[in-house]
Amino acid sequence: MDLELSDIQQELGSSLAKYLRSEYDQSVREAILGSEEGISREQWKSFAEMGLLGLAVPESYGGAGMTFAEVAVVMEAFGRALVLEPYLATAVLGANAVVAAGTEEQKQAILPGVCEGSVFLAFAGYEAGQRYSLDSPATTATTATASQGLATDGTTASAGDASVTLHGEKCSVLGGDVADQFIVTAVEDGELGLFLVDASARGVSRIAHRQADGLGTASVLFEDAPAQRLDSAPAAEVVAEVLDTANAAIMAEAVGAMETSLKMTADYLRTREQFGAPIGTNQALQHRAADMYASLEDARSMALFARLAVTAESEGAEKDRHRDVVAAKIVVDGTARHISQESIQMHGGIGMTMEYPIGHYAKRLTVISRTFDDADSLTAELAQLGGLIEPHAADLN
Amino acid sequence: MDTLLSAQERDFARQMRQFYRTEIPESLRFKVATGQELSKDDMVTSQRILNRHGCAVPHWPEEWGGQDWTAVQRHIWLEEMQLACVPQPLPFNTSMVGPVIAAFGSQSLKERFLPDTANLDIWWSQGFSEPNAGSDLASLKTSAVRDGETYIVNGQKTWTTLGQYGDWIFTLVRTDPSVKKQAGISFLLIDMKSSGVTVRPIQLIDGGHEVNEVFFDNVVVPVGNRVGEENKGWTYAKFLLGNERTGIARIGMSKVNLARAKAYAAVTKTARGTLLDDPLFSARLTKLEAELTALEMTQLRILSTQAAGADAPDPRSSVLKLKGSQLQEDISELLVDVLGPQGLDFVADRVQAEGFSDLPLGAVDALPAYFNTRKVTIYGGSSEVQRGIISKALLGL
Ligand SMILES: Cc1cc2nc3c(=O)[nH]c(=O)nc-3n(C[C@H](O)[C@H](O)[C@H](O)COP(=O)(O)OP(=O)(O)OC[C@H]3O[C@@H](n4cnc5c(N)ncnc54)[C@H](O)[C@@H]3O)c2cc1C
Repeated sequence: MDLELSDIQQELGSSLAKYLRSEYDQSVREAILGSEEGISREQWKSFAEMGLLGLAVPESYGGAGMTFAEVAVVMEAFGRALVLEPYLATAVLGANAVVAAGTEEQKQAILPGVCEGSVFLAFAGYEAGQRYSLDSPATTATTATASQGLATDGTTASAGDASVTLHGEKCSVLGGDVADQFIVTAVEDGELGLFLVDASARGVSRIAHRQADGLGTASVLFEDAPAQRLDSAPAAEVVAEVLDTANAAIMAEAVGAMETSLKMTADYLRTREQFGAPIGTNQALQHRAADMYASLEDARSMALFARLAVTAESEGAEKDRHRDVVAAKIVVDGTARHISQESIQMHGGIGMTMEYPIGHYAKRLTVISRTFDDADSLTAELAQLGGLIEPHAADLN
Repeated sequence: MDTLLSAQERDFARQMRQFYRTEIPESLRFKVATGQELSKDDMVTSQRILNRHGCAVPHWPEEWGGQDWTAVQRHIWLEEMQLACVPQPLPFNTSMVGPVIAAFGSQSLKERFLPDTANLDIWWSQGFSEPNAGSDLASLKTSAVRDGETYIVNGQKTWTTLGQYGDWIFTLVRTDPSVKKQAGISFLLIDMKSSGVTVRPIQLIDGGHEVNEVFFDNVVVPVGNRVGEENKGWTYAKFLLGNERTGIARIGMSKVNLARAKAYAAVTKTARGTLLDDPLFSARLTKLEAELTALEMTQLRILSTQAAGADAPDPRSSVLKLKGSQLQEDISELLVDVLGPQGLDFVADRVQAEGFSDLPLGAVDALPAYFNTRKVTIYGGSSEVQRGIISKALLGL
């Protein structure tokens, strides 16, 4: 058994950490956060030059042809620095969906742009009033016959696959504020499908929002918007796999953010003085910090568990994959809440300010523990899947 | 007593309920009910109506506008106010500085300040905490040096809530640096328009501007603005903080917020019904209801002994603060969880734009409130400080 990172992965992690320490410190991040777009396109270019954007994309489409393990290394480093750019949206959710469901032609058209940093993608799955459910969107896809297409709009029929149109509204589209292409779930003839929509196409409008942690999202409206099918694999399977991978990625990010939170909190306990001594000399706080450490270890273990689940290549691995990711996220959600709440509490008032970094970590962790799902819905799901341990009565041995 | 409230008390509660619902404008109560931010004018309007009806400062001495009410009646007054979502009287005026001036101030200070304080014609800020004097408040450094009939004040206060609206600030200042730290403190009232006073905003992670830093640079303050004796300020501060702690359980408010979470959950669809039917969510919610009831009973038990004559602050009020603040935080977390992915953005309005659906109820305030509510276990004596009081004063440890 070898659970350590390979030399190449370690090298990736440490050179990225070095870059982020010098080029993405608190003041740089603050400036990005305060900018109009809330992201830095220059940083994005640098990430592209470092080869981060296409890590898991096959080499034939401009990527590095590595695995999710390398992506997890990047996410953890991004978690430590609270990177604001839409890596999860574009390089994880978006790129994985195109790799899994795109035709050769679509992959050639989109992935090289993603890898070189010229295209932002976003996965548009969630809908108002449906919480975390992705199974049965109200958004519909319609295929117009050639004559209908010509009757309503002379241009549609000639534009290749553009005779498919989407109608519906998506919410909480991560990275949807800057996306050039949307990957959209919609129902056609009672079946879930995946579609690609150009953000600048007619019939597409969006409202940009910012999450509490500063990351951009959007509500997106598709009003008979022209779309391409992404159908070289069954949509439901692609969505499940893409989401499991994104969840594993966000867990790695959470570990990075939690590790930094705990380090900052421990530093604060050592240096902040009240009643003539560092507050960390109080055993009440020492024990609580120790509990945070134990939570972090749990999170680290489960982020690894999830990573192994999504990189497993054995026969029938998909079934276990989803179950394991769900189990991992239950633990990571809980630890993210625990560590973010305790970090603020032990900092006192300063933990609630924008000026001091700990609150920013708490915001990101608060959002992460409710991204893609939350602990309650996951716990119910895991129970329904039968849990992790087979029933077995000892007296039947 | 074998009924919770006597017939007269129940009658009193009915009167209060009706008064709040007929006299306080619906628009103001709606704002509180839906978690909207109150403007300065909103708070002034509400307090003046309450004051006109003898309901702003019932706990003050009768000659200064108080009512001859029992502890139980005062409890009902506050509880019904919270249940009716009435904007509460400014605590700095009515629970903090008012009672201190009434108990320890000179006749001229009482005449000058108490009527205006009750009516919110003067907006008071609390200038106790300093960057290095938080939990260890007595280590405060802001100095007041006697110069004939004036003090010259230098130093810095921080976390000054709503200091941007403040007309006057009540402060703890060091008047004798040569003695034990608690023995050299005085309670001084300072006009915030004095030259040398500067107020600077602090941005909090909830996106709002609630607190400030206040700087004093050679501010001249008449000796007559001192409350009580020189170097006795710590005694007055302890009196003030004792009063602060009793009202801080906010049980009525927690009931309103829990009711809100429950109502929203009932209209939130999940894969298996509504969120309110979800066993895990409903277990969390129900447990909070039971815990809140336990806290309410504890509060009534404490009150019933106070009604029988005890007037000194009860150390058990630390239990109310400890439990009440934790419940407020738990409930704020629950409300965020009701919203799911649509609760993660910071938005100004539920209405998005033409063609887009409205955001769910609570989408504007739930997450900011969650971050803001972190304060309740930090201020007014943090949870750690309350546990210290309980273990020392009640358990003799
Ligand atoms: C939103 C907000 C509004 C506020 N409004 C006002 C206001 O209007 N006026 C005003 O004067 N003040 C105000 N305060 C200040 C508040 O009273 C202080 O934040 C509080 O006293 C804690 O001090 P601190 O923030 O410096 O934390 P610290 O005292 O530095 O505490 C940091 C952590 O250490 C813990 N700790 C400290 N000592 C011990 C110990 N001996 N044992 C165990 N644990 C310990 C604390 O509980 C906390 O978890 C406000 C604070 C906030 C957050």
